[in-house]
Amino acid sequence: MEQHLLLLILLPLAGAVLILSAPQRMRFFKAAPALVITLVNMAIAIIVFKKNIIVNFPWAGFGIDLSFRLDHFSAFIIAAVACFSFLVTLYSSVFMRLKPGLKQFYAYLLINLSFTNGALLADNLIILLFFWEGLLLGLFGMIALGNKNSWQTAIKAFIIVGIADLCMLLGIAITGHLSGTLAISKINLPLASPLAIFAFIMLMIGAISKAGSMPFHTWIPDAAVDAPLPFMAFLPASLEKLLGIYFLGRISLSMFQLKAESGLSIALMVIGVTTIICAVMMALIQKNYKKLLAYHAVSQVGYMILGIGTCLPVGIVGGLFHMLNNAMYKSCLFFTGGAVEKEAGTANLEELGGLSSKMPITFFCFVIAALSISGVPPFNGFFSKELIYDAALERGAIFYFLAVLGSFFTAASFLKLGHAAYLGKLNPVHQRVKEAPLAMLIPMITIALACVLFGLFNSWPLDNLIQPVLGQRLEGISFSGFPANTKLIVITIVVLIFALLNHIFGSKIYGSGLKAADYIHYAPGLVNIYAWAEKGYFDPYRVGMKFIVVVAKVIFLFDRGIDWLSSSLFVNLSYGLTGQIRKVHTGNYAHYLSWSLLGMFLIAMFLLYKH
Amino acid sequence: MLSLFIILPLLSLMVINLLPKELMKKIGTLMSLILPLAQMLVVVFIFLGILDIRPGPADHFFKFNLAIDNISLVMLFSIAIVILVTLLVERHLIPDADERFNFLNLVLITFTGMNGIVLVQDLFSLYVFLEITTVATFILISFHKKRDALEGAFKYIILSALATVGILSSIALIFLISGDTSFAVVHQALQNSRHAFLIDFALAIFLGSLFIKGGLVPFHGWLADAYSSAGRAISILLAGIVTKTLGVYTLIRLVSSVFGFDTEVKGVLMFIGALSIIIGAFAALGQHDFKRLLAYSSISQVGYIILSLGCGTPLGIAAAVFHLFNHAIFKSLLFVNSAALELQTGTRHMDKMGGLAQKMPITGVTSLLASLSTAGMPPLSGFWSKLLIVMALWFSGHFAYAIIAVLASVLTLGYMLSLQNRVFFGKLRPELENVKEASFGLLFPMIILAGIIVGVGALFPFILNSLIFPIIIK
Repeated sequence: MEQHLLLLILLPLAGAVLILSAPQRMRFFKAAPALVITLVNMAIAIIVFKKNIIVNFPWAGFGIDLSFRLDHFSAFIIAAVACFSFLVTLYSSVFMRLKPGLKQFYAYLLINLSFTNGALLADNLIILLFFWEGLLLGLFGMIALGNKNSWQTAIKAFIIVGIADLCMLLGIAITGHLSGTLAISKINLPLASPLAIFAFIMLMIGAISKAGSMPFHTWIPDAAVDAPLPFMAFLPASLEKLLGIYFLGRISLSMFQLKAESGLSIALMVIGVTTIICAVMMALIQKNYKKLLAYHAVSQVGYMILGIGTCLPVGIVGGLFHMLNNAMYKSCLFFTGGAVEKEAGTANLEELGGLSSKMPITFFCFVIAALSISGVPPFNGFFSKELIYDAALERGAIFYFLAVLGSFFTAASFLKLGHAAYLGKLNPVHQRVKEAPLAMLIPMITIALACVLFGLFNSWPLDNLIQPVLGQRLEGISFSGFPANTKLIVITIVVLIFALLNHIFGSKIYGSGLKAADYIHYAPGLVNIYAWAEKGYFDPYRVGMKFIVVVAKVIFLFDRGIDWLSSSLFVNLSYGLTGQIRKVHTGNYAHYLSWSLLGMFLIAMFLLYKH
Repeated sequence: MLSLFIILPLLSLMVINLLPKELMKKIGTLMSLILPLAQMLVVVFIFLGILDIRPGPADHFFKFNLAIDNISLVMLFSIAIVILVTLLVERHLIPDADERFNFLNLVLITFTGMNGIVLVQDLFSLYVFLEITTVATFILISFHKKRDALEGAFKYIILSALATVGILSSIALIFLISGDTSFAVVHQALQNSRHAFLIDFALAIFLGSLFIKGGLVPFHGWLADAYSSAGRAISILLAGIVTKTLGVYTLIRLVSSVFGFDTEVKGVLMFIGALSIIIGAFAALGQHDFKRLLAYSSISQVGYIILSLGCGTPLGIAAAVFHLFNHAIFKSLLFVNSAALELQTGTRHMDKMGGLAQKMPITGVTSLLASLSTAGMPPLSGFWSKLLIVMALWFSGHFAYAIIAVLASVLTLGYMLSLQNRVFFGKLRPELENVKEASFGLLFPMIILAGIIVGVGALFPFILNSLIFPIIIK
């Protein structure tokens, strides 16, 4: 069984090397090996599912062992990752067919798969760090394959994620120092000392930034526009969410003893609700299909962080379930976005409209995924959100209120998106638009189906995938089935109805679905905030870059000053002095003689005067 | 048998002149090589405790009052090395056999004189040996009887005459006061004397005269002309050891054994030292002639020695002696480099050189090592002596002088790298296309000296324990 774990890491890596070394002309050879390898990877993931496997090789000394461990938590995430990887590859085999850089795309895809598996399996913090940081490589490469602006976005993503990874490096160092071991399964630290809290915060930054939470999210909407679309469905929508939330779960469930009463729990919840509200508000006003989805990809992370941050079993189960559900419906939504972009040639909502008649299956999948993300019963998003609401209400009404408000805006923005893209008048240029090809439809349909099934039969994923992760913490309670708290369900439904009324009201006033949310956009007060947000005033990267430019200018001036001192002032002074000294040395012995006499005289005078 | 250090060079001088002259022109130099080699060996043996110096039969005939300590041992070793190098390169730098023979005679006289200066223990003998060495040096500088060499020698004679008058008058005054010339007796007498005015006067003119001999600012007028106009082989000897023995060693001996350190003397020494460091370094920056640059660099480096001596602490004296030794090594090496360059390119003007490192790699590398050692780059020997100097200044509370010493090393690095840059780095000038590396006879001493620079730097802990600490503890 041990070799299976290593295969999960080595097989995709070998595939990446194979694809990179294939001749340029063999176009078919790029997608086919990737498909085969992701399929095999999925098979292995299913074989090892529900098994506990430990692989350990002593390696670098100092407690750095090449050790991998498969337990239930990592096993189900690996299975999910394997499924998404296969579906994304299948989708890309059509979507990317005529795009440049195909070879690199599949190679990076497989490298990312390999490193994600490695990070999920690693049982040593240093090994984890290796794979975690290695993901930066694939991230950068995949973004950079996009349009001509993608290079900038790739650098932005690289810097933001790189800074967060540096925090994680620090956290790992402190954790290793505090616990005396680097083996993840052996670490169990109380959050008592300030150093331990600091280490937790650093590791948490690494985890939530991987998941794409605020304030580390700003590259995601940019990447949505610039990077190839399957990348969005692959990394920010599924793999990175799974990995980031997995690690957040690891640190808060097993590596540290996070308690519900602690300030860190409050901090996590605050980060969660801030992310939900701010990102969904930004999503609401977007006029681009992909960018709108990207903001939702950020917003939904907020629910997961909120759920895990509550430190209540119900919240954690909800958060983890939401992680899985979100990866499903979000990649499905990105797939529909990609299909629309591929067929209609644009993702700009102002140019789209009425596509439901041309692309009925895509529309159908979109509706299911949108209902899921909005939390409409009985789809999967509804159940995970209800669990999170339940936990949030127990920890504080304000968290519950903001989470529900986020749900309202989510529903509103998807009503707007669906209305603008699929309903309304068909743009005349899109008369000849056809349904997406089969290879793109299969992933969409599969996921949409899964959304329905995970909702209707939520006891299977909850009982088999999520709840075993918590084990003893649950004290035998099961959260499967229909939510117990009927009051909350009523509130949710009321909120959803309000969102629908709000949309009807907005589109009546402004005459189009796209502008349904404009009254929020241009509300007094909000309009300025939106304007600032659009200008990037709230983007830590842009602010940081501006700050760095200022710092760089100051340093440059300082450097020029030093340069002037050393290569201008001092040199000129020295040469001036040298010139004077040369002038004094006339070569006349009489002068020299008189200097010597004068010197002797002065010494004599000095000694006589002093004594 | 300390007198053998003086008698043997004198004896060999007689021998090579008594034996058939044609033969001696051929093998005289070779024979004379034994002397410095033997001296180095003996010094090392004494140093390691293998050899013990006892009064022997020779001391009955020559009743000098001689003594040896660690400082004199270092001096004897330095003298032997520089004489050895001079004799090794002589054959390549002086083509004419007659001239070479005369040169050999003068070198042996200088050798005798310098050994005498190092070992004597009374003022009058000191004066005699000073004069022997000085007169031999006059002739050496004007050896080729070229116009500028004669001019350089003339300036040296004029200023040396002043120094001679000063030294002689000072000795006379001291003899008047103390009634003796032996260092120890004079030291005692001066402590108890009531003639403070006379002593101060004698001290002042003695110091001034030795500053002239050592070439310290503002007594340095003769030095640059004499160094640069002297023949190629002579300037090695002159810059490497002669002025250091005449001026600097004598000063160390005189101040530490005869007059003693008091605040004013320390003040004078340190001020003159710092002034020499700064003026010498700035003057060196503006030079275009390789040897003149080295001459001003000499002034600057002697400034370091005097500055360190001025601390008056054992560490300061030890650092001064160590720097004197290092200076003898790296300055001789640089002058051998300059001789090789002048021989191969026909010029000493640095602006007419450039990129010679590819044509003369060994000369280039060794001179770079010497330059870096001069500037005090770790781990070369020059670094350790400068470090000791700065430490001595710091520990004795002279912070301003310590900072000057550190900053001046930047200047040293500046002019030394500018020299390297102009001569060895950069693009090769087209007219230097046919330049070849110097002959092995010149390269051999270069390699030995560079080896000493690196070796002493690397083995510094050993040197510190066996050489520096004994001086300090004493």
